[in-house]
Amino acid sequence: MSKEYAILPCNGLDKLAGYVTREIALRLAEETGSEIICPTFYRVSDARYNKVASEKPLLVIDGCGTRCAGKLAAEKGLKITEKINVTDESKKFGIKIGSGLRMGEDEFKLAEMIASDLLREDAIPPAGQDSKSAVIMPESLEYEIYQKDKFIFRLPKAGFYFNENDCWAYVSGNKARIGVTDYVQKSLSDIMFFTPPEVGSEIEQFGEAGSIESGKAVFEIICPVSGVVTAVNEKLLDYPEYINDNPYEQGWIAELELTNFESDKEMLLQFEDYFKIMKKKVDEYHV
Amino acid sequence: MSENTFMGVPRDKIDWAPVIDYGKCNYCMDCVKFCPHQVFEVRENEEKRLIVKNPNNCVVFCRACSKTCGLDALSFPNKSDTTKRIKEIRKEMEGSE
Repeated sequence: MSKEYAILPCNGLDKLAGYVTREIALRLAEETGSEIICPTFYRVSDARYNKVASEKPLLVIDGCGTRCAGKLAAEKGLKITEKINVTDESKKFGIKIGSGLRMGEDEFKLAEMIASDLLREDAIPPAGQDSKSAVIMPESLEYEIYQKDKFIFRLPKAGFYFNENDCWAYVSGNKARIGVTDYVQKSLSDIMFFTPPEVGSEIEQFGEAGSIESGKAVFEIICPVSGVVTAVNEKLLDYPEYINDNPYEQGWIAELELTNFESDKEMLLQFEDYFKIMKKKVDEYHV
Repeated sequence: MSENTFMGVPRDKIDWAPVIDYGKCNYCMDCVKFCPHQVFEVRENEEKRLIVKNPNNCVVFCRACSKTCGLDALSFPNKSDTTKRIKEIRKEMEGSE
């Protein structure tokens, strides 16, 4: 992260993780000349920050799962370039955040480590860069639709496998492309952020294959197949809204080299069965 | 077949639901507001003001409520153990048919 960002920390005062976001923001601003957006001030005054938030790439730093900064960015209609969550990072670095409200040695160390990690990122090409899509999809897909009020839920009629967690896999040879169904993108509404799975990582069936996030919630992508990630849809990093446009085509998530598809298949559904499940979910839960 | 199944397995045979860490929970109730499946229940006049009332309503493999929890007070069973168990039950069911 050598270039200048607009940095939006949650700066929360009710938990120590919030203080850590502030410390990270300060360190990054000092190193890179990035500008910090004060979330408290931004809430009452658009004028002060709208320009910097729209002109510079936006880094959102949340302290915890309440995601106050991410939600603020969603409310303001901002495009997020990068996003971290201090609670998740603390697990990654194995440094526990204290329960009090004063920054101690551990918290300063954690802030320093997260900040250096962010600063280093630009130097190393992201893992996804070598990824090459290899699954050939049909040129056009035929959909069945289920309509509830003004909402239309599409489902491709042939060639796709589904799990009961609303994710799909399209298999070609020993590879599969995966994604989410219309039920997921409609339930989340405007998707603002995509956290891809790591290329080269091995995922078990029903393991986590990254996540997508809207102002409403974070959805863990539950991988329908087991395998090694060979590609991620890098376009989603800039245009996560492709998932809302069409989660089966331009909004696909990742590709995997299959390791045990014959066994995975037993736990997957085809169109007829998943369509019934999706309809039931739409009737019972969709708002 | 029971009415509520996951992957063909009766839901009540699958151990998958959140566990509340009462040492961390501050009863903000964000998880209650989030979950559309009435997994949680609020108990106004009891010491534990939040309980997992309907564990079998919880969608197997969904951990979304734990991602809304600012205090990281919700945990779930291990996914691959759960998958293994579902496969075993399916085999047992095939055998008994």
